[in-house]
Amino acid sequence: MTLHTMPVTRRQQVSTSPRDRRRHLVSLLVAALLLLPITPLVAWSFAEQWTFPAIVPQAWGWPEQVWNAGTVAAFATSFVLATFVACAATMLGAMAGLGLRRAPRAVSTAASILLLAAAAAPPFALAMGATVGSLQLGVAGPPAVAMVLVVLALPYTTFVMRAAFAGYDESLEEQGRTLGMTSWMVLRWIRIPLLLPSVATAALLAFIVGWSDYIVTVLLGGGDLITLPLLIAGAASGTGNEQSLAFLGMLAIAPPLMMTTLAFGLARRYLR
Amino acid sequence: MGPGTGASVASNGAALTHHSRRPRWQALLAPAVLTTTVVLAVASAGLIRGIDNAAPRSATLPLTDRPEFSDALRTSLLLASVSTLIAVVAGFGIAVIIVRWRGGRLVAAAATATIPVSHLVGATAFALLLADGALLSRIAPISSTLLPPLVAGPWWIATIAEYAWKETAFVALVVSSVLARHEAVLHEAAATLGVSPGLRRLRITLPLAAPALLVTGALAFAYVLGSYEVPWLLGPASPEPLAVWAYRLFTDIELSSRSDAFGVAALTTCLALVPLLVAAIGLRRLERLS
Repeated sequence: MTLHTMPVTRRQQVSTSPRDRRRHLVSLLVAALLLLPITPLVAWSFAEQWTFPAIVPQAWGWPEQVWNAGTVAAFATSFVLATFVACAATMLGAMAGLGLRRAPRAVSTAASILLLAAAAAPPFALAMGATVGSLQLGVAGPPAVAMVLVVLALPYTTFVMRAAFAGYDESLEEQGRTLGMTSWMVLRWIRIPLLLPSVATAALLAFIVGWSDYIVTVLLGGGDLITLPLLIAGAASGTGNEQSLAFLGMLAIAPPLMMTTLAFGLARRYLR
Repeated sequence: MGPGTGASVASNGAALTHHSRRPRWQALLAPAVLTTTVVLAVASAGLIRGIDNAAPRSATLPLTDRPEFSDALRTSLLLASVSTLIAVVAGFGIAVIIVRWRGGRLVAAAATATIPVSHLVGATAFALLLADGALLSRIAPISSTLLPPLVAGPWWIATIAEYAWKETAFVALVVSSVLARHEAVLHEAAATLGVSPGLRRLRITLPLAAPALLVTGALAFAYVLGSYEVPWLLGPASPEPLAVWAYRLFTDIELSSRSDAFGVAALTTCLALVPLLVAAIGLRRLERLS
């Protein structure tokens, strides 16, 4: 038996065992259960006619009534808001993640508790409290929404980057410089490959916080910010508009889903 | 002094120069800590001012003495406890599947696909799946005499299902990433020593996963306790959980209700911090045990 054929043979042996087939079936069932709730969203998005008790839609079609200027504007507003939250929270989180590694233990613990308190505080309570203060400080509306969302995203970005710096061997940079690497080469060949997957994960989590928010925008936005979640909530409180609701839901899933795929692709490419 | 020593001194010098250029921890931590402190301080001051500005209303009972308060508190605690319990148990099981079974990658991909779905979109998806006349009732019609409505029914089934679904995936992904680091080596060592699979799961997998289960469980509990969108869309009109009640009071045309909304928000915030304190104490105990 050669080294090349051995793993294949072992895999074949394992795959034929009844226990393994049973486990494979259970894995498939669990994966299907996890994806099941998204199924009606996909089906309803393109169902022009789907009356009770039909199990599949009677007519398929593009939801023209939803794809209008208002939806595009809300999509763009959500995207700008989420991108701002992702950039600001990732930058501050990366700095804080490194700071937590270097700070004395007591300071690091106190800062972590503060950040965790922000993660645990109910967003509706933060927003309600901030309505009073932000009006007095003259920063009401979109800037106040963005600031609260950055604070809600900061715990995620900080702890992801802290874990990344914990696994980052700074002596590699010293070794690179000893071998004649310039600062640019250290950045290109050491720092980016080792830290980029974590930066992408942190940015993705912060983007999702900004992209998904409903309650902070409603309470603090003062009607100036019409984001995609506000349209979804409006459609959800009505009746007989399942196709619009499902299509808006799909629109809301698409960008973060693409970014998740991108972040995983980056991780696979650089951590190989 | 040999050439090696000279190189070492030069290298140390370069390292020292490099280290002296490194940003100090104070400068690195300050932006995040200051931003968080300012927002938390402004929000807390706003809540306290909002409660203080209460219009004198001799006709109404204090907030905590009202029946709505006990109903809201009981409902929120029940939703948070049941959803968290399901998420922790199912999340642990799925994490084991992800780490140890061959189909684990597929399960991990499915769990990851739920992360970009917000709770608001998740709630609309569950409404399209579980409401009267929705997909489930078409596939498997169940008589309403057997089971109350799943959406807006008295048992909060759709609300709990949505929270459990999203939080299970969150717990599973975090716990599986923790288990993936050490579990395989320890399992193999124990198997070599003849330890049974059940005992290995009890003595290796569970203790390794316990800190992550505690932290994710606490975060899930705090999230559900203070969440608004899901019970608003999928729950019954009455009783209201704390967040839904607070929002209704906040947007009430009666301006004096606002102070009550601030009071409910402040109480919910205090309650949401409790599971984190419990998790912190639990983590310290677990550290001592290990």
